[in-house]
Amino acid sequence: MSSNNVYLIASSMVRVGRYFSKSYKDLVVDVVNELFSSVGSIDIDYLIISNVFSDSILEQLDISTILTQELGLTPKPALRVETGESSGLTAITQGYSLIKSGIADTVLVVGVEKCSEFPTPTMNKHFIKFSDYEVESIYGLSVVNEAALLMKIYMRRYGYSREDLSSWSVKMHSNALKNPYAQLRFLISKEQVVRSQVISDPIRLLDMYPVGDGASAVLLSSKEGIVNNEALEVVDIAQATSQPLNLREDLLSLPATKIVFNKLLSRSKLDLNDLVIEVHDSFSILGYLILEELGLVEKGKAPSIIDDLDNVNLSGGLKARGHPIGATGVYQVAEVFKIMTTGLGDIKRDSCWGLIHSMSAVDNNSVGILVRRCSC
Amino acid sequence: MRLSIPRFWRKRFDYYSVRISECLDCGRKFYPRRSICPYCRSRNVKVVTSRGVGEVLTYTVSYYRLEGYEEVIPKVIALIKLVEGPVLIGELVDVDISEVREGLKVEAVLRRLKSEDPAGLIYYGIKFRPIVG
Repeated sequence: MSSNNVYLIASSMVRVGRYFSKSYKDLVVDVVNELFSSVGSIDIDYLIISNVFSDSILEQLDISTILTQELGLTPKPALRVETGESSGLTAITQGYSLIKSGIADTVLVVGVEKCSEFPTPTMNKHFIKFSDYEVESIYGLSVVNEAALLMKIYMRRYGYSREDLSSWSVKMHSNALKNPYAQLRFLISKEQVVRSQVISDPIRLLDMYPVGDGASAVLLSSKEGIVNNEALEVVDIAQATSQPLNLREDLLSLPATKIVFNKLLSRSKLDLNDLVIEVHDSFSILGYLILEELGLVEKGKAPSIIDDLDNVNLSGGLKARGHPIGATGVYQVAEVFKIMTTGLGDIKRDSCWGLIHSMSAVDNNSVGILVRRCSC
Repeated sequence: MRLSIPRFWRKRFDYYSVRISECLDCGRKFYPRRSICPYCRSRNVKVVTSRGVGEVLTYTVSYYRLEGYEEVIPKVIALIKLVEGPVLIGELVDVDISEVREGLKVEAVLRRLKSEDPAGLIYYGIKFRPIVG
């Protein structure tokens, strides 16, 4: 008997990092074993894998079947989800849809990515694939270049200096210090940000996500007996796409993200300051733009409120937790689950609501989910 | 990945010139060329070859290392507004970084994009250079 309400039951992850001695299979086996040891033996109906570079890097297609075999989960049905950098959160929404539609009661969602198998210039060749190959990537243009152009426009429009826009990275590193699963667990200063290596001026190394491997798992279910008081309900999901940057009316707008936030927030009068929020800050400038699109702060003011924020990217965000591409969205959900239940390390919040946002490139394909504590 | 001759050949007019589209219903012009208008979804769209002339709206100097694109580092990547109206992102060449500025007038020029190996195919495409004089 199933209520068709969808609940987050458990989550697990490995610390984001460079696992030279472990394959993607090893990482997935680790997180799935940890997840099942926390909930006991549960029969799943579906396995969803979020992974972006399986064919580019791992020489592997149909990776969900290979992992089903490795995990001993055959004959369970399995599929892989890919929407660029937002794949992980898309995978969660697909699990939600399978349960809502009645096709499955319990779905295991696993995100995994191996980004340290090759040197960075080789990985960068794959990272540029998030843009249209025939129009942008063939010219060697990358998302970091787009983010840099936006950062310059933002600085010009609102009169910020380069140093003013370093507050995001400083805050994310400070948050990551408390997250046992974060890749970059050290403090940085604004001076270090503005003196770090130039990647695409004005973006410097400490304005962007680090390259790392990761795996994370989340268990979704609607089944009585599996759902308990610790569970979080997935109340709503939203997803939208937008045209590339050069076709947008306002270059500093994130049209798909705006649609996602409007849908998730329209149903309830939520106090944004009382939510646990995770957003896709692959570059610090995008962190600012997302908070402004969310309505947490008016346009052009985000850099001035960052120091006082205590409910956004408690994980350290993509900037400091890390960004194992296809796994990232699953990490965000796994972390929010822990923050709102047993604690992510020492990070714990009593908030009733959580909001998770992910996107690919600069808002090409954006996803959001809204979760609520069952006892609220 | 090895280069594909048919994949490049079929789009040779897009890679060897700047082609934009004009929607005959809503009147908008846009880059890249498409057969469906991204603004109103009309299919009543015609292809126009741009003069390839425009100005730099803003730019970034990029040190991002990409396998296959390492011959020129840093690259100057610019947001360019064509005289016909559409905006695109392109690479600037034949210019000192210190001379790049917003408002710089530029024109399209055919340049080498990349090659698969020293003895292999070479891809050419459009980059932009300052208009002299």
